[in-house]
Amino acid sequence: MSDHVDLHGDVAEILLSEEEIATKVRELGAQISADYRGRSLTLVSVLKGSLPFMADLMRAIEIPVRIDLMEVSSYGGSSTESSGLVRILKDLSASIADEDVLIVEDIIDTGLTLNYLVRYLRGKAPASLHICTLLDKPARRLVEIPVDYTGFTIPDRFVVGYGLDYGELYRNLRYVGVLKPEVYAEVSGG
Amino acid sequence: MHRVWGARPDETDPSVSVPFAHASEAEMSRILDFYAVRWEYEPHTFPILWNLDGDVVESFSPDFYLPDLELHLEMTTLRQKLVRKKNRKLRRLRELYPDLNVKLFYARDFRELMLKYGKLALHDGLSGTLGQVASPYAPPDELDTAVVADVADASTTTDLAAATEPTPGRPTRRRRAADPRTVQKGPAIHT
Repeated sequence: MSDHVDLHGDVAEILLSEEEIATKVRELGAQISADYRGRSLTLVSVLKGSLPFMADLMRAIEIPVRIDLMEVSSYGGSSTESSGLVRILKDLSASIADEDVLIVEDIIDTGLTLNYLVRYLRGKAPASLHICTLLDKPARRLVEIPVDYTGFTIPDRFVVGYGLDYGELYRNLRYVGVLKPEVYAEVSGG
Repeated sequence: MHRVWGARPDETDPSVSVPFAHASEAEMSRILDFYAVRWEYEPHTFPILWNLDGDVVESFSPDFYLPDLELHLEMTTLRQKLVRKKNRKLRRLRELYPDLNVKLFYARDFRELMLKYGKLALHDGLSGTLGQVASPYAPPDELDTAVVADVADASTTTDLAAATEPTPGRPTRRRRAADPRTVQKGPAIHT
């Protein structure tokens, strides 16, 4: 697939520009800084999609924070096996017991992965556990999870860029966009 | 109605299979299992229309019930004509049972889900009438009275606040008529 990728040319529409994202991240950072002032905050980012958001958000937060990274297997993530169970591919590197924890997500759509993650992290007895997402796609929600900080509520469209991928590509776009339909058709054999 | 028989993916009890009506439902069950969300397949039947004698003449059985989320999930991956019929039934359901939490999953939703999981190539085979595959194992008449799903594992009843690592979901073996939420008769509604 990567042989045929035209990184910007494959994008049909820019949904959120680099500037819009940067402004929103600064706003989120300021709000989080105010809400957690005087407390010990650990940001937990979920690989791989939330990496750019995490990198920008942590620098927009003006209180001391610890960061940690997790990776959770995705359904269909293995090309050979569609069944099985979600797994923690990379766990936290430090204890979060009695810590204030903020999960940093790139996007919440069905809520299935986040639901799993919240259950898992609550088992580690943090002092508090809240959720920050850059993008929220409520139209596709299956599991209702209260989200504390939301950057943008987006329409029901498949988006790429700023960490979000299609076939592991397009993550390095600086904006969030929608791919041209023929890009999907090429991959699906349609 | 044709049924698609889906084997349980966790292989803990290979003898258990669920008579899914559509391949997209089988795929959804695998997704729910993957994310450790407990589900039941068509455990509740809700009457939505009665004749003048109070007999049920039309009912609606949402495809999935997710007990931990108290959510009914209906998959609608069929042609538009059939979707309209299902939308009408769903509107009626919501009028009669306003407290019921029902989520309708359209063909577009399912396609997006397949896109997200990198399974778009499978989408055509799992959608529309192509997804309705005749079962070689059971005649349709048997299926309407079939006992659906298997035995719930008590360990999977998870309190979110207390849980450590989630465990896989299991459907619950339950006869529809025995379920207290299944109403066989209601007030006569004149339409």
